[in-house]
Amino acid sequence: MAEEILHTAGIVAVAWVVTFGLRSLPFLLFAGRGRDVPPSVERFGSIISPVIIAGLIVYSYSALEWRTAWPYISGVLVVALQLWRKNALLSIIAGTVVYMCLLSAGCTSNDYGDIVLDAAHPSIRYSTQGFLIGERYVDPRRVPAILKSYDVPTDRVIHILVDEESERDLKPARAFMGLLAHNGYRRSVLVTKKRAESHVRTEEEMALERQQYAPSPRHASPSGKRKIRYKGASD
Amino acid sequence: MGYTTMGFAAGVLLSVKGGVYCAPAWSFVIAAMLVSGTMSFAIVPAMAASESFLAVALLTLGINFRYALYGFSMLAKWKGIPVLQKWFLVHSLADEIYALDLACTIKDPLKNRLYCLFNHGFCVGYWVLGSVAGSIAGSALPIPSKGIEFAMVALFLVIFTDQMKGFFRHYG
Repeated sequence: MAEEILHTAGIVAVAWVVTFGLRSLPFLLFAGRGRDVPPSVERFGSIISPVIIAGLIVYSYSALEWRTAWPYISGVLVVALQLWRKNALLSIIAGTVVYMCLLSAGCTSNDYGDIVLDAAHPSIRYSTQGFLIGERYVDPRRVPAILKSYDVPTDRVIHILVDEESERDLKPARAFMGLLAHNGYRRSVLVTKKRAESHVRTEEEMALERQQYAPSPRHASPSGKRKIRYKGASD
Repeated sequence: MGYTTMGFAAGVLLSVKGGVYCAPAWSFVIAAMLVSGTMSFAIVPAMAASESFLAVALLTLGINFRYALYGFSMLAKWKGIPVLQKWFLVHSLADEIYALDLACTIKDPLKNRLYCLFNHGFCVGYWVLGSVAGSIAGSALPIPSKGIEFAMVALFLVIFTDQMKGFFRHYG
């Protein structure tokens, strides 16, 4: 806890040092001299700062739902409003509200609710139609990233429930396990419904659960909504 | 007024997405120390992910590079201001504050200095007030937060649009 507060304070301190350094740069460079800025510096500045901001825009889009059209629609709205009304606050608030509305209109979501990773009721399911997390079908290639976003440790055993009718063809499931292993999750296990219901935790699993149950604040999820529950069959 | 509202949004974002224990306190520290709207938004994901110091330094360098250019136009204006007051002015040289400083046409150095000090003081005050209020509201009320991170992108887009407009006025 103390370490985390120190780290956060460090982040603010670093940001302040850099910000203040940048702000005071001209005053340090031209200390005592009241002369004008060389035009070359001015030109360099007027070219380099839009380039930096453009890079930041591209970078910050990666944190949004950039595979959908919504951030781009909202982005165009922001630029159009800014050109038309020239009111930064209006542009920002309108764009953000529209983006939030478009998102929650239910068109897309990265939130899979609670993931349960245990042998009795595994959240990852393999059916004839494809792979599911919870109740939603997912592209299996996205699963490792989703697990990572839930801070699931790579040494955690990942149980994959196999539907009865898909037991005959396990090839896709095996390929999926290979994909997981490739992304660090080497300990995936296929479970049939019957086995899941009769699963008894092993000593090793119980030790793992105890060890991983302690939430590490450093990696606590920021939204507080995403939770992984590790449960055994006995609860 | 604009500063209070922007600060409020940054405060809400910090308390909802920052993953810190006492959001209002951090909000106060960030607002008072950085006095930078963009950075107040951009620092939130960095705090949530416990980024390395180097990454934060690079991020800040990229975002706030433009501040290094603001100072140049203030060199002549702020000549002869006592050191402590001058450092306060430099410390809080943010976008809109800078624009207001530039817009001031008072020629008398003493009056100009008073104007700048008042301008900076009030703007920083409003900014801090808005941030803290936002973070308190964000931790107390169930404000829908999904997608609120777009505010930062929108801020970048606004800055970029204005820069482009200025750029084309000069060179286009």
